[in-house]
Amino acid sequence: MDCSYFRERINRYIDGELGYLEVAELQGHLSFCADCAEELAHTGEVRGALAAWGRAELAAPPGFAERVMAAVEAEPLPGSPRPLGRAVNDALDRLDEILGRIPLPGGRTIPVKNVLGAGIAAAAVIIQLERRHLRRARELKPL
Amino acid sequence: MSTSNLHKWALLPDPTPSELSRATAGDAEAFKLIVERYQGMVYSVAYNVLGNFTDAEDAAQEAFLRCYRKLPQYRSEATFSTWLFRLALSSTIDYQRREKRRPDPVETPELVDGTAPQLGEGISAATLTAALHDLPEDYRVPTVLRDIYGLPYQEIADLTGRPLGTVKVMVHRGRASLRLRLRAERED
Repeated sequence: MDCSYFRERINRYIDGELGYLEVAELQGHLSFCADCAEELAHTGEVRGALAAWGRAELAAPPGFAERVMAAVEAEPLPGSPRPLGRAVNDALDRLDEILGRIPLPGGRTIPVKNVLGAGIAAAAVIIQLERRHLRRARELKPL
Repeated sequence: MSTSNLHKWALLPDPTPSELSRATAGDAEAFKLIVERYQGMVYSVAYNVLGNFTDAEDAAQEAFLRCYRKLPQYRSEATFSTWLFRLALSSTIDYQRREKRRPDPVETPELVDGTAPQLGEGISAATLTAALHDLPEDYRVPTVLRDIYGLPYQEIADLTGRPLGTVKVMVHRGRASLRLRLRAERED
C-alpha cells in the first residue's frame, strides 16, 4: 500500500486517535517500511522535545514584576465600578465562559459576545432606517 | 502526556486564602507576591505562543492586568495556578490576534535555574526555539498549544477560532516542518 496512506496516520497514532484495527494495520506496515518507521520515530522525538520544553520555566525580563505593578497601580481596585466599556466587555466575557461558543458549519466556533455585538449593531441599523423612513413619511404626508 | 504541562504548572504553590483576599481587596504587596511567583509561567506561555521577547513581555503584562481585574471571579474549584495558566493562554491568544507582531531576531530565552529540560539527542534549546521561531504563525500557535502545552484539539479550535480539522492539519504540518528542520540541524 502507498506510504502516504500511512504517513497521514502517523500523527493520528501519536495523538492516540487510531482505533485498534488501524493501529494493527500501521504496525504491520512499519514492520517492513523503514522510511515510515523512521518518520514515526523522528516525529515522536519532536513531540517529546516540545513537551520537555513546556516544562522549562523561562526567566521573565529584569524589572518585569515592577513594570506590572506600575501598571496595576493605575488600575481601579478589583471589583470596583469600572468604565462602562470594560464592564460590558467583562460581562460578555463571563457570558462566554458560561455559554461557551456557538458552533458554525465547517467546525468553526465563535464567541457568544460576537453574535450579540453583531445583533445589537444590526438592530441599531434597522431602528435608524425605520426612524428615517417614518420621518420621510411624515414629511411627505399631504396637508 | 496530553495534559502533562498543565499539571506541571499546577504544582506551583497556590497563594494562601489570606494572600488572595488581600490581593482581591487591592493590596499591592499581596498582588506583587503573586506576580513574582507566577511571572515565569506567564512569561513562558507568552513567549512560546508569540515567539519573540518584546511581544511576550507586553502580552504577559496584559495577562497579569487581566488577572488583577478578574481576581474577584476566581473560585477555588481549580487551583489558582491552573486558573492563571488558562487566563494567560487566552490573554496571549487575544494579543496575538489583535496585535501585528514585530519582527524579532532569534534569541534563546534564559531559563530559571534548575529548569533546563532534556530535549533529546542533538536538540538544544537554541535549535528548538529557532525552529519554532521560523514556523509560519498559522502552524506555530496550534503546534505550541498542542505539543508544548498538551491542549486537546477541540480546545485549540475554540481558542483560535479555527475549524477542528484545520487545527489538526496545522499541527501535523508544524510537526513535519520541525522534524525536517531539526534533522537538517543534526546533519550539519
